[in-house]
Amino acid sequence: MATGEMSLRSAEVLPGNAPDQVLVERCRQGDPSAFARLVALHEGMVFNLAARLIGDAEEAKDVAQDVFLQVYRTLGRFEGRSSLKTWIYRIVVNQCHNRHRWWRRRKKDCSRPLDELTPADQARLVAGDRGPASPYEELRRRERSGRVQTALSSVSFDHRAILLLREVEELSCEAIAATLGIPEGTVKSRLARAREALRVRLLACLEEGDRT
Amino acid sequence: MTCARVRSQLSSYLDGDLGSSVARAVGAHLEGCPACARHLQSLRAALEMLADLPTLSPTEGIAARVFDRLEVETRGPGLAMVFRSSRARRPLIFPSLVTAGLLVVTILVGAVALDRAWRSLDEPLPPVASWEGRVLPASGTEANPLFPSADVGLPRARPGERVSQELLAQMAEGTIFLETVVARDGTVSAVTLLTGDRLLAQPLLDALRQQKFEPVRLRGRPVAVSVYRLISRHDVFAYKSIPSS
Repeated sequence: MATGEMSLRSAEVLPGNAPDQVLVERCRQGDPSAFARLVALHEGMVFNLAARLIGDAEEAKDVAQDVFLQVYRTLGRFEGRSSLKTWIYRIVVNQCHNRHRWWRRRKKDCSRPLDELTPADQARLVAGDRGPASPYEELRRRERSGRVQTALSSVSFDHRAILLLREVEELSCEAIAATLGIPEGTVKSRLARAREALRVRLLACLEEGDRT
Repeated sequence: MTCARVRSQLSSYLDGDLGSSVARAVGAHLEGCPACARHLQSLRAALEMLADLPTLSPTEGIAARVFDRLEVETRGPGLAMVFRSSRARRPLIFPSLVTAGLLVVTILVGAVALDRAWRSLDEPLPPVASWEGRVLPASGTEANPLFPSADVGLPRARPGERVSQELLAQMAEGTIFLETVVARDGTVSAVTLLTGDRLLAQPLLDALRQQKFEPVRLRGRPVAVSVYRLISRHDVFAYKSIPSS
């Protein structure tokens, strides 16, 4: 049996509500079940943020793996000045930023839009607690999500990151400042510009959708 | 307050970050200016739509993949280790070799024979010689798919599970070197790009992760093996002589 499988099973031993500090401490002591627990707790958030930032689900899977490998390797340097979640947000944004730069440097963009996921991927879209929707309603919702993602993908990376952290992850400006490593005042001014950029792009996307 | 000034404050207005006097001034302007009120409405709608985006979930467990990669990285004397440590900066060997490749060439190395065969059936799979003082997991397990036997053949893909020639044909010119760990049940537990362009390799990596093999057996015992593939595509053009006039 692979050690990884063993670790995942023994993750059940660790209480689900173990606070960050306990988890981190146990990870540092080399407890694989603690690290499995840490991954299980944060993988959904990491994947969603990466997928929205990059706009490509397959690439987001790779980023998510890289994020947790980096977490594993650098956990010894985590000082606990911010929450574990904030620290992981920072790693996600940095990893996505590196990939974004890598693509730009090679003038390549092979991203597959999120609304072109495989049927299996589509089936995993969690629609929140809205209850069962009619096929028409579901189609409309997907179309709208596709346009929002298109608008989001068309704003700059920095604007996209701050919008997702604020509006989707619902972080406070203070937490965003800690995540991005910039002053709180800069967060607020960048957020204002990002919101306006999204508003303009989204209006354009919706108008284009209405015309077609 | 001018429209431009009000619009520059709308983000803070939405967050309730404005001082009470400024907030009152902005509110008063919005009541009397339909254009700015529409601006605020569209801003609010855009942010609501963003917040309403469905949450995307990974189709497969990320944890299992992370553990696979940690295992591969720590398991010891494999080609993976040599290449992984160096690929970020300077690949060690292959660039000098692959330039000789023509068209699409696939080399399957399979289980790497390191030293000796087992003496008997009952003998447990031995650990591979330690690497920098570390004792490795038992050979032939997913944690250590490199083991000392030349008796293991290449894993055979199950019927209908071969990587399509079309996929290979779609590859752009270039060379990639891949490691696939085939688990004891025949599924692929990890695919690692050792050298090469990730963008070039991505469709192939996706396809290989879904592949199913006949379980590899060594003397009746199912074992995990590493498969290494070197895939190189170079277009070759025949020289066409120009007839002399």
